[in-house]
Order: sequence, then structure tokens, then C-alpha cells
Amino acid sequence: MVHKINPAELQKTVSSVPMISASASRLLQITSQPDHEVMDVVNLVKTDANLTARVLKVVNSAAYGLVNQISSVDRAVSYLGQQVIVSIAIESCAGELFAKELSGYEAVGGDLWKHDLRAAIAAREVVIQSGADLSPDLAFTAGLLHDIGKALISDYLRGSAPEAVALINSHDSLDYLAAEEHLVGVDHTIAGEALAKAWQLPPELTAVIRHHHQPSQAEEAWRPLVYAVHLGDSIAMMGGFGTGSDSMRYKLDPHYADFIQINANILANVMLVVDTEFNKLSEGLSDTGEKS
Amino acid sequence: MGQIILGVGDFGASNIPEDTIKTFALGSCVSVIFLDPKTRCVGMAHIALPDSTINKAKAAEKPGYFADTAIPALLAQMAELGCDKRGKGIIVKLCGGANVMDTNDTFQIGKRNALSIKKILWSYGMGAIAEDLGGNYSRTVSISVAAGQVILSSPGKPNWQL
Ligand SMILES: [Fe+2]
Ligand SMILES: [Fe+2]
Repeated sequence: MVHKINPAELQKTVSSVPMISASASRLLQITSQPDHEVMDVVNLVKTDANLTARVLKVVNSAAYGLVNQISSVDRAVSYLGQQVIVSIAIESCAGELFAKELSGYEAVGGDLWKHDLRAAIAAREVVIQSGADLSPDLAFTAGLLHDIGKALISDYLRGSAPEAVALINSHDSLDYLAAEEHLVGVDHTIAGEALAKAWQLPPELTAVIRHHHQPSQAEEAWRPLVYAVHLGDSIAMMGGFGTGSDSMRYKLDPHYADFIQINANILANVMLVVDTEFNKLSEGLSDTGEKS
Repeated sequence: MGQIILGVGDFGASNIPEDTIKTFALGSCVSVIFLDPKTRCVGMAHIALPDSTINKAKAAEKPGYFADTAIPALLAQMAELGCDKRGKGIIVKLCGGANVMDTNDTFQIGKRNALSIKKILWSYGMGAIAEDLGGNYSRTVSISVAAGQVILSSPGKPNWQL
């Protein structure tokens, strides 16, 4: 049966999650700076032998179909782009968390990673195609991390999906976030924020994790970024990549229009690109043979 | 022989009674299901977007992706299995086309997909006898060729039939 998660339990759950690696942590710090250089990323990758090996494995995988093998980190980073490097770094240190079976949402293992990857690509593409004044790479990173809280509260929600759905169906104003709060006392954005703090993530990433369903409540400085991920998240669900029972059961905040100019045509184009990019990226990442 | 799984933008048809055609997690996508009582043939398309004019190259490579190219492509495939080329006598069912909550016009792709599909069907003189469209949830849909029964499922809900 579900019960309310008390603060001590939440802390215990957070501390049961392994820390992200030092290089992943630094990579998130670096790529969050608007004025960082590609060389900063290259140099960081070079300091981590494990990360270097994985980056080279991905760039030389069949998904990218290179005729000549790439053996230098510099070329691999510029060829793959920073978003792929971030994905590799996060997946190699927190892959288990993202691969967790979200039984509380009746979703299978791997659904969270796929949803986050789709949301990341979509957020990035929304920024690019709308011409918003934001870093596309930052939007990607934020999208990749936005739902980590689900992995923390899913076990507490086990068996509750029918009740959550019934609750939303009988109350017009409730979304899945409210249902989580009602059922276990802590929604996935609050749990995610607790993990973000334990991981010492940069403030803009923490803001996205905390406010991606209510972007207007984010600190003003991060609001455009939070809206970009808000849209990326919706696009991921619309494209059929949710995380189970909560899919589509969140509210769209139309005030995104204050920061992001997007019309039906741009949205359709974004959805097309997301499909193509997702297939390429997930093929490349799975080719490293370390993730199912 | 088994399960035919359709991804986004795929379409398929079968007249083998043991086959099941299935597509997972329709969000704003719409599944068009064709059943031909005469040939006992069943077809399905998993349509993502209403209009192929935004990307002709994609439409050529994956006609099932867009409403206006998917329906002719599915009809052509079913014609190879002996169905009428213009869809005469074919029973149509539609499902999917969900939207996120409080959606605005721009994000109503689910609704635009359904409208576009209906318009195209209408141009063939076809119309759906059953539909389960809209709402704020994702749907997985499967149909067994022998029974012609459309089964829908969604996490947190009991399965239902269309
Ligand atoms: Fe979320
Ligand atoms: Fe999400």
C-alpha cells in the first residue's frame, strides 16, 4: 500500500543513489556556462580514461558509419557534439538510475532514459528552431536530467497508478504531479530537487528539475530554460515516449510564448527531427555494448 | 505467424488469421485500422503528423508518417491482398490523438492528426464506425487478424475494446 514519504525517508532514498562521477559533475558545470569553449569539454574528457574510451567507442560505432576511425578526443567531441558527450558521461555514471523499472508508473526499465533523451533532444531542437536566446546544449542537458525524481519515488508509488488515474479523471484541476503529492506526499520534482542538491548540480539544472511542470514558478533568470524543457517534455510524451501512467497527464503552460516562438509548423518539424536524432543517438549509445 | 509491431510512421497489413498487429504508446499519434470483411484482411498505420508538405523527403521514405500519404499507402498494401483499391467495403476504426492537459492550439497535434485523417478518408468515401480519440493519456493498440477485435490499453487503466 502507498504511504506518505517522510523527510527522513526521502533523504535516505536520495543518499542510496550513487554520486555522479567527478568528471560528469564537472562536465555539467562547464557546459552550463554560456561562454564555455569546446576545448574545455575536450580537456575534461581527456582527464578521464574511462570517459575517453566510451566517447571513442560511440563515435566509431556503426551508428555513425565513419569510413575512417577517429582516435583523437578533439575530433570525437567536435564530431559528436557536446550533447552526446554529456549523454555518455551521465549514462556511464548514473545509467542504473535511469534504467530503473518505474513500477510505480507501470513503466518498464529503460523508459525513463528514453523519455529523458527524447525530452533533451526536443528541448534542444525547440531552442534551435524557435531561435530562442538560449544555449541548445544547456537545454539538452537540462532535458536529460529533468525527471530523475521519478526514479526516487517510483517504488513508493507501486500499485497506485489506477488510483492516480482515477483521481485525475474525477478532478479537472489535478494533474499527475498533484496525484503524486496526494498519494505519497512528495512529487517527482521535489524528490528530483533533493537529488540535484545532493549531486551539487548547477542552479539552472536544479531549477529545471524542480519547476519543469510549473515553469512560471522558476526564478526569472532560469525561466526561458525551464520553459524550453517544459515543451521538450510535452513533445517527448506526444511522440509516444512517456514513462507509463503519467504520460500526457501534465498541463501545458501557454506562457511559454513569452520566451519561445513556436507555431504548428515549427512544432511538426521539431517532432520529425526528434525521431531521427533519437534513433541515431540511442543506436550510438547502445553500440558501446555496456547498456542493453 | 505472430506479432507485427508497428513503430511511429509504420504501416502494415495481414490476412494471416494467427497474426496480431500492434503499436505501442500512441501519444498525439493516431492509429488508423482497416478491416475488410470480404478478404478477412486487417491493416494498421501509426500516423505521427497531419500533413506531408512539411517534409516531402521524409514522406517518400516513410509514407506512414503523415496522414495524407499513409492512407493511400495502406490501401495500396491491402489491395495487394485482394482488398478494393479505393477501400470499398472496408471498416475503419481510429484511436489515439491524445493531447497534454490544458493544451493550446499549437500543441493540438493529436486533434489535427484526427481531422486530417477524417478528411482524407472522406475523400475515399470512407468513415470510421468506431473511434477512441483525444483525452490526456497514451494508448497501446493491438488487433488480432482472426477476431478483428481492437484491444486498447493504457497504464493505470483496465484494457478496453473498440
Ligand atoms: Fe516531470
Ligand atoms: Fe518528463
